[in-house]
Amino acid sequence: MIRGRNKVVHECITRSGGLILPSLEHIAACNTLQIEPTKNQVQDRESGSTPDADANKASADSLDLEALLAGDDKAFEQLVIQESPRLFRVIVRILGDDNEAESILQETYLQAYQRMDTFRRESKFTTWLYAIGINLARASLRKSRRLSSLEDQEVERLQPTFSRGMFVDSPVEWDPGKMAELSERQRLVHRAIDKLPDDYKTIVVLRDIEEYSTDEVAKMLDISSGAVRVRLHRARGALRKLLDSHFRTQRA
Amino acid sequence: MKIFKIIKMMVGLSPNCEKVNLFLADYVDGTLDDKTRKDFEEHMDMCKCCRPYLNQYKSTIEMAHECDDVKVPSELVEHTMAFLRRNSDFPRS
Repeated sequence: MIRGRNKVVHECITRSGGLILPSLEHIAACNTLQIEPTKNQVQDRESGSTPDADANKASADSLDLEALLAGDDKAFEQLVIQESPRLFRVIVRILGDDNEAESILQETYLQAYQRMDTFRRESKFTTWLYAIGINLARASLRKSRRLSSLEDQEVERLQPTFSRGMFVDSPVEWDPGKMAELSERQRLVHRAIDKLPDDYKTIVVLRDIEEYSTDEVAKMLDISSGAVRVRLHRARGALRKLLDSHFRTQRA
Repeated sequence: MKIFKIIKMMVGLSPNCEKVNLFLADYVDGTLDDKTRKDFEEHMDMCKCCRPYLNQYKSTIEMAHECDDVKVPSELVEHTMAFLRRNSDFPRS
């Protein structure tokens, strides 16, 4: 069920393919580059299968989906054992607070347990579980007002700028020496990710850190795959810019 | 040869930096079709701006992936199961 502002946002994304509308340049680029369906899309079409159908098979293999949906307690406990570490990591990264993340994780399993009959097999069961957890985490973030420091418009300003299709500021290669120290690098990247607006941060966590597929992330967040791709690209562009001043080679 | 490629780009027969930039994510994911990937790589070979940008874009992804350092509490599962027992009818059987 999508209500209020979320419904408006959801409809906007569904219609536009992205919360931030793809630019005219993007459409023009698609025309110029004669974009074909991606390899994954072609494979899905040729095999006659859908990613969701395959995903549920895999889910059933590892989790015994039928037992889970039939209310088997052991199957539910197995779900908690199997998914808790990864789901906890995702929630911690969204919230930045271990104690709150543990509470949200527990609430996620409680809601999943009580709402099991609302699972419609339209996605992997774990995708559905993560969607509950992510929604609860983001609601908690809004409630506690631990908001990210950047606004959506600032993400836009962190993207590269072009004039007549060419870079306005030429990127300077990063210095491997400055990137060599792992703990310092992790500190800088952590700080940069934490600055991203909630929507962008969540997508970076799910795609680039946890390496879920674009389609899985789209289902977890209830947005289109196109919207995931657009936001991920902009999030990476913003992160690149935030890190640039730390890693760039000094010009001679 | 290089001049020819630059002229192609200037008259719009091959993608410019801005257009190439829009397809970085698909390039990194390996989901561009062959023709687009060829155009993309041809541009990268001759462009002094896009090559470092692509390197930085890839480094950003790799460094984000390295941020896999959350410590999971050892009693997480135990606490969760106890919470379920306290707040629901678990276990039903």
